[in-house]
Amino acid sequence: MTGEPDRAGAGATAAGLRVLAQARWPEPGDGAPPALPGFVHSAFSPVVAAVADRCLTRRHGERPAPEPVGVRTAVVLVSAAGDRASAEQVHATVAAGGRPGPLFFFQSVPNSVAGHVAARWGLGGPVVCVAPTGDPLAEGTAEAELLCHDGDADETLLIMIEQAADDAGAGVRAGEPGGAPGTRAVAVLLGGGDTR
Amino acid sequence: MAERPGVRITGVHALSALGRGAEAQLAGVLAGTPAFRPVGRFDTTARRVGVAATLPETGALPDELAEAVDVACAAARLDAGARAGAPLLLAAHGGAGVPALAGELARRCGLAGAPRVYTSACVSASTAVADAAALIGRGDVDRVVVAAGYLVEPDQYALFDAGRALATDGAVRPFSAGRRGLLLGDGVAAVVLESAEAARRRDAPTLAAVLGWGRAGDAHHPCQPDPQGRGLARAVGAALRRAGLDPEQIGYVNANATGTGYSDAAEAAALRLAWGEHAGRVPVSSTKALHGHALEASGLLELVVTVLAVRHGKLPVNAGWLGPDEACPLDVIRDAPRPAATGYALSLNSAFGGANTALLVGAA
Repeated sequence: MTGEPDRAGAGATAAGLRVLAQARWPEPGDGAPPALPGFVHSAFSPVVAAVADRCLTRRHGERPAPEPVGVRTAVVLVSAAGDRASAEQVHATVAAGGRPGPLFFFQSVPNSVAGHVAARWGLGGPVVCVAPTGDPLAEGTAEAELLCHDGDADETLLIMIEQAADDAGAGVRAGEPGGAPGTRAVAVLLGGGDTR
Repeated sequence: MAERPGVRITGVHALSALGRGAEAQLAGVLAGTPAFRPVGRFDTTARRVGVAATLPETGALPDELAEAVDVACAAARLDAGARAGAPLLLAAHGGAGVPALAGELARRCGLAGAPRVYTSACVSASTAVADAAALIGRGDVDRVVVAAGYLVEPDQYALFDAGRALATDGAVRPFSAGRRGLLLGDGVAAVVLESAEAARRRDAPTLAAVLGWGRAGDAHHPCQPDPQGRGLARAVGAALRRAGLDPEQIGYVNANATGTGYSDAAEAAALRLAWGEHAGRVPVSSTKALHGHALEASGLLELVVTVLAVRHGKLPVNAGWLGPDEACPLDVIRDAPRPAATGYALSLNSAFGGANTALLVGAA
């Protein structure tokens, strides 16, 4: 699972960060995420963008994030397996002696969609993508705390996403917990809350 | 250096097409001969470009990473007890098996576990170093082992080829007129970082200190750098502030420069934005022109090269130079290694997503 916003929202983190906003994808009523220009084949990047938009809209209302907090907001993307659908498509194409489409180059690393979110919302803090070996929320929160404690950010948009192995281009097939697997994500905006 | 304890680098190891081991990296970058050759590791007949900087007879990535960690820990004279207290921060290309790779690597090398793998493209390793320094500085741990690895393989090669990112003339020409793109290269490295106090307590060898670091985003585009270099300029500024140093004290910049037209120009703009006219007076080269672009591992390989060069007192050339580009008004080191005027150097990295890092090291 990709982390639980309710767990993140239970109070301040160990370093004193508070949950300023949170969102899931999917939430009740969601279908496939909106298409994301420049990204193809996989639901991974569209879901990241959708859950980030939802979380940041709940905090800031509209784009971009206000100054001075925007330029001091980090984006931390946490995913153990990354964009499985794109990686598997590229691997199969290359193994068969073919050429991947050029757009797969641009989405070959999770930084690209993290950078899309940062550009769309004017977030100028660090862009960090990590694959946790344990609990995604704990690791993502630890990274957010470190960036804020260290001084390179005041707030962190933490996005946790996992994609089921068979969730390729069809988009989100997931429903509620216990339902069919799909691409699921949680976004949490963490910060001191006094920099808005 | 005594007045600036920073975070000590007490052991390093690196592998690239320049050779195996730290001394091979230093000898290779000072020789100044690019290590690119036709790719023999896999079939490139369907690709536009068939050249990379590969080291013959490399092992599998997990084995090379384990050797790198073991050699770096041995160089740092870490015993089993000290290793057991040191977490591993790994930088590698993401994928379903990567968390398990990190956990197994930590177990195999007797380290205190691997909490996360940095998959932030070409700033993965440099972000891990910055985080390691921050963890030590915050007092969480006495020492951290940072490891990173990329061995040129068919999938990423095909993607860079499809994205027309590879240099079709078989050379990497950072900041130069006529540059045509990057070339990939092998890179596996490991570095032991320790608090000054922990290093002093066990009388550890000290190669250099990480005195400052900075991480910042462009907020500009998913894949292209901000042409004004604002994110990288902020990362540079943060690194100098943490170190308490002025730009005039920096004797060398190992630039990110990949040999790509717009991104090298953006990096030059960042240095101008950060340092003004002084940016044109600081010796700069990109060692990617010699060992290629090691992607997720590039930041650690280049940090090792930078540390060894400033310790040795000679700065590596920027190979592949054809002539000046007015979009890159920098003091690029050409023709021959240059004596280091100071022991302070910056290693810069930038990545897709507008991610930027600056690591500031001081030679011991």
